[in-house]
Amino acid sequence: MFGGLRERLQAARNRLSSSIGAAVAPPAAEPVVAPAASAPAAHPAEPVKNAAPSFVDKVKVLVLERELIVSEKNIADALSELEMTLLESDVALPVTDAIIVNVRKNLVGKHRKIGESVDAMVVNALKLALLDVLGKGFDLNEYIASHPHPVKILFTGVNGTGKTTSVAKIGSYLHKQGFTVVIGAGDTYRAGAIEQIAVHAGRIGIKVIQHKEGADPSAVLFDTVQYAISHKIDVVLADTAGRFHNKSNLMNQLDKIKRVMKPDLVIYVDEAVAGNDAVIRAAEFDRTVGADAIVLTKADMDSRGGAAISIAHTIGKPLMFLGVGQGYDDIIPFDPAGVVDELLDGAD
Amino acid sequence: MLDNLSSSLKDALKKLAGKTVVDRAAVDELVKDLQRALISSDVNVKLVMELSKSIRTRSLDEQLPKGTNVREHVLRIVYQELVRLVYASTEVRLEPQTILMAGLQGSGKTTTTAKLARYFQKKGMKVAVICADTFRPGAYEQLSTLCTRIHVPCYGNPAEKDAVKITREGLAALKEQELIIVDTQGRHALEPDLIQEIIDLNILTKATHRWLVIDAALGQQASEQARRFHEAIGIDGVIITKMDGTAKGGGAMSAVAETKSGIAFIGAGETIEDLERFDADGFISRLLGMGDLKALYDKATEALNAEDVDMNAMMKGKFTLRDMYKQLEALNKMGPLKQIMGMLPMGSMELPEGVYDVTSTKMVRYRIIMDSMTPGELDEPTLINSSRMSRIAHGAGATQDEVRELLKYFKTMQRTLKGLRGAASGGKFSMQRLMKRFSGQQ
Repeated sequence: MFGGLRERLQAARNRLSSSIGAAVAPPAAEPVVAPAASAPAAHPAEPVKNAAPSFVDKVKVLVLERELIVSEKNIADALSELEMTLLESDVALPVTDAIIVNVRKNLVGKHRKIGESVDAMVVNALKLALLDVLGKGFDLNEYIASHPHPVKILFTGVNGTGKTTSVAKIGSYLHKQGFTVVIGAGDTYRAGAIEQIAVHAGRIGIKVIQHKEGADPSAVLFDTVQYAISHKIDVVLADTAGRFHNKSNLMNQLDKIKRVMKPDLVIYVDEAVAGNDAVIRAAEFDRTVGADAIVLTKADMDSRGGAAISIAHTIGKPLMFLGVGQGYDDIIPFDPAGVVDELLDGAD
Repeated sequence: MLDNLSSSLKDALKKLAGKTVVDRAAVDELVKDLQRALISSDVNVKLVMELSKSIRTRSLDEQLPKGTNVREHVLRIVYQELVRLVYASTEVRLEPQTILMAGLQGSGKTTTTAKLARYFQKKGMKVAVICADTFRPGAYEQLSTLCTRIHVPCYGNPAEKDAVKITREGLAALKEQELIIVDTQGRHALEPDLIQEIIDLNILTKATHRWLVIDAALGQQASEQARRFHEAIGIDGVIITKMDGTAKGGGAMSAVAETKSGIAFIGAGETIEDLERFDADGFISRLLGMGDLKALYDKATEALNAEDVDMNAMMKGKFTLRDMYKQLEALNKMGPLKQIMGMLPMGSMELPEGVYDVTSTKMVRYRIIMDSMTPGELDEPTLINSSRMSRIAHGAGATQDEVRELLKYFKTMQRTLKGLRGAASGGKFSMQRLMKRFSGQQ
């Protein structure tokens, strides 16, 4: 996961550093020649074209503090390359714009000590921007341990993103962590969905509460919660049918489910390969039924990871897990700091 | 669907509206808006760059044809280039054949397999499906449930783990059928074992068509995935699914460009009937807000045929309440009004949310009122005077106002059909006028 994005970001970062480096290279040799502030006019004219911080300011900073100022023009080209990189990595357009603005804000007008490496500065700016977007992770173990049982977790999302598979994987994960788990087969619409979750649960040894196809999902999940209470089970995982955020009757149904089972956590499931629509639907789900954390599936399909950045930025909720394959163990807790470090420090 | 893209494109084009000469700055701006619009619809970034480059060069270099304004000139170029992007529509013949479905996990292969079976069944073919998805639990149950509903034989064996074996047995068991659709397990291009499996399946089935099912929301990854699938089995058509969400299908467009194939079908809804033939011109027209008349016409004729309404007689002008009754019934079959409206050239008009629902309940009321009319009144609505109106209202449990409203609606429909006749020969302008009238009535 994120391998592709890492390569791209590193390439973009190198370009950024080199363009800043290039912009400041000529004056970098200057301080030796003009140690006294006596003749600013005699200075070489090259840096004058970068107008933003006035030339005199620049020279002053350069001479007195031995620092350089990064101007907007220095990095314009490199930033537009970075923009393309992010877009090609499936980071949605509005999110890309936000990141670029952030990086620019962090770099432009910054004073840089002559000794300080350009690289470090750029990495920092990018890292801050990305961390800002990705926010903090979400520790499910700790959440479950610190809340009254049963902890009720509701899974939502559009069709075909992998809700049922994720429920099974998370069930297996929690099972291994020593929690007792029950699954509610709340997808009563799609043919074969109940069979699917029942087979998964059978394989990992978890109880499933199910009704017939076409039953009211709220009733199924209510029963699941009742079962968990009476059997003192730690966690309820509630699967639901996929639905599009623009179908108001289905979203109302989800709202009813929420009223009936009163989940502690609403998890929004989406896929890593989704493009710009990821942003639209995440925002809509967040608005109508809420979302406390995100599970991103199919991350093994796409090494670019742009959707993670888009969704996290749009609804400001933490990523909890990444689904990375077809086996039950192919799920990893998401750690933003680790990912960002890996993205940017990998190839030094 | 596609609303955002078409509205931003429309904005971009509007900027050119008043110009009389091709203005470099305006074209640049348009190209930039177009790029952003296409990228935010998930069209592959490289593809967008190529596309916008050629639109820019052509807009600036090609001579403005006589009698056209700049907006039309540029619009035509944008349109042509976009059509080139989605290539031709894939040809679908009604003859004995085998179709192999391929695609990523969760793109909607199984649902689409059932929808396709239904589509060909409605066209009068003997269809059967094979479930070669041996991995996902419940895959066979899902497909066989869907197929039982439409009485299509479905071959599969949830206990068997070898997809190639199932398919071989299935082909033998279903020899009698004319058209066989093979549903496969979801896979992505970075899984060599699974790619090998689909290569084997392709060789075994000697598939006539190998269709790639693509989720409308698929992003930049689409090109790469499509390329790998294409290398493995030679994709000759793409089916875009989940077009009823807000995703715009740009990823699928990139996949089409990558495989040099066409878009065969579009899936837009959860019921088994929600599958449409794709028509490149129509798709782009809709994209640019010019309306997709052909798709509407196709859909209308299909639904009307079922009801045995003589479209031609209606078009010739003898339109009675009886025809309208049948039409309302047919409209019900055509699905949600909103879907139909999406195909009409509404321009930039936005209908408030909820209007569609109100309209469809109203249509039910209209039918009830018409049930209280005599055959004579249905054939000759002018017969209805105030005494008859009071009787009808009484019989239908409606108010006289409602009956009057129905008659007014009927008159509009009559005028609308006259307009449609004009449109068939007169081109898009009379159609636009017609739509204005139609929308005024909402």
